Amino acid sequence: MTGAVRLLLHSLKRSRTLVLTTGLLLAAFQVVLILVARSMYRSGAFAQLANMLPPFVRALFGPSLVSFMSFSGIVCVAYIEVAVIGALVAISIALATIPVSEIETGFIDLILSRPLARHWIVTRTIVVLALSVSVLVSMMMAGAWIGLETLAPRDAPWPSAKLIESLGLNLDLLAISWGGVAMALGSVSRRRRVPSGIAGLLALTAYLLDYTGRMWKPAESIAWLSPFRYYTPFDLVMGGPLPVKNLMVLAGIAATGFAAAYVLFSRRDISR
Amino acid sequence: MAAISIQGITKRFGSLAAVNNLRLEAAEGEILGFLGLNGAGKTTMIRILLDLLRPNSGRALLFGYDCQTQGLQARSNIGYLPGEMGVYSDLTGRELLDLLAGMNRKPIDKKLRRELQDRFELPDRDLRRRLREYSTGMKRKLGIIQAFQSDPALLILDEPTEGLDPLMQESFYQLLADVKSRGRTVFMSSHVLSEVGRVCDRIALLRKGALVLLSPVDECRKLAARSVRVSFSADAQLGREFPPGIEVVAASPRLWSLKVEGPLGPLLSFIAALPVRDLEVAEPRLEDAVLEYYREDAAGEEVSR
Repeated sequence: MTGAVRLLLHSLKRSRTLVLTTGLLLAAFQVVLILVARSMYRSGAFAQLANMLPPFVRALFGPSLVSFMSFSGIVCVAYIEVAVIGALVAISIALATIPVSEIETGFIDLILSRPLARHWIVTRTIVVLALSVSVLVSMMMAGAWIGLETLAPRDAPWPSAKLIESLGLNLDLLAISWGGVAMALGSVSRRRRVPSGIAGLLALTAYLLDYTGRMWKPAESIAWLSPFRYYTPFDLVMGGPLPVKNLMVLAGIAATGFAAAYVLFSRRDISR
Repeated sequence: MAAISIQGITKRFGSLAAVNNLRLEAAEGEILGFLGLNGAGKTTMIRILLDLLRPNSGRALLFGYDCQTQGLQARSNIGYLPGEMGVYSDLTGRELLDLLAGMNRKPIDKKLRRELQDRFELPDRDLRRRLREYSTGMKRKLGIIQAFQSDPALLILDEPTEGLDPLMQESFYQLLADVKSRGRTVFMSSHVLSEVGRVCDRIALLRKGALVLLSPVDECRKLAARSVRVSFSADAQLGREFPPGIEVVAASPRLWSLKVEGPLGPLLSFIAALPVRDLEVAEPRLEDAVLEYYREDAAGEEVSR
């Protein structure tokens, strides 16, 4: 086994508690949503709920909101829930800044004094980041599948497997794209809190920009700058096709961040 | 072939030259002490050898391999002990040793690790503990074991005995003697001059990033003035001027304390006619020679302020 593989396994082992704990919480959240959807379905509350929405709210959110006022929609609510999206983005940023944390602690001195190329530090981090985020989203999807199979009424309109997969893929790429941004920032930093803080603030700003862009026409002209613009769960729940273009934009952001990280990390001085 | 060859390395941080056109070689099988006051550029140079820092000019080679362009080959057979060892505190000692051992190209000899554990009194029980429970001294011992466990051809050690108690320091000196007898090369920075005088073959002294002294330890000792005490059986008069190179530290009619630079011949001629009862000559100490350089460095700092 090479040093690079050992380092990768070590890093995966270190992130497993965080990933598995968060993944279980996300899966449990899916199960809770299915219980809520079952209860509403049995009491016939969906139609009443849609009728109760004030007209201005309907106008603001459009027909997509009404799509979420269904059994299928409630099951998919996790994909628009800001806490879920925030948690995934935060974990992605945390994992992307592993190299700068190793610089800060000095652990990287011990690693790089061995015959290990610097690019392995970046490659290892990308693999850990992509795998961890994918495991988290997969656990969320698995939670939905288990919940539906065991708790959902058979006659209720379940979300299709394709819809869940599309939502999962879109969310996965959104989180990884923020990892790319954080990793590029971390490649020129000495302290972990700097790239984490900047990436976190950027994510919050981008989220608000996207949100404002959807509500307020003037902001729409610059909302394309926000990666969240390319995350479209509402369209998918309404039955839209897999947004390949959006996925490519998110993958492009991640790839650009990773490429910048390779270049910057290979040229930088490693010092605390 | 030199184990380490530093060829005109300069490293600047902004306008400050941390290492300035440094040229230095360490031969295979020698122990080279790398000295200097804090901020002299020792650790910077060590980090350049490990390709953690990139020089502005010049190049450094380890066993003929360029540290920057052939870093993997250059680092394929070295052991490194950082001045301050950064570790994940939730790892156990054994996990850290295994992880780092796995990153070396050559598999480690478990027997050697066991021997190192015994030498530094770090039993398996301690290796099973999390690093957050380790004391400074235990972390240092672990650092030494991780650096030596693959029996590398070159050891780069930054302040190796910092935090070790005197008994462990003794074990460390013995370890250095053993690795030297097996032909390994050691490049170590240290502030403990007595330790350097004891274990090193040569010293390289840095001042503000530049090499100001490169000398075998024995030669360097000779640069220091010797302390000489001359006692007399009857009162001796200080009638004449002392020859050059002799400084009077204290003088009474029956006892002179002197500092003598260079050979003792002129002093012996000077006192030949006096009623000398005894002559005590203390061996020159490396500390005295090196401290002179340090004082010049500090004086330079004062002037520049």
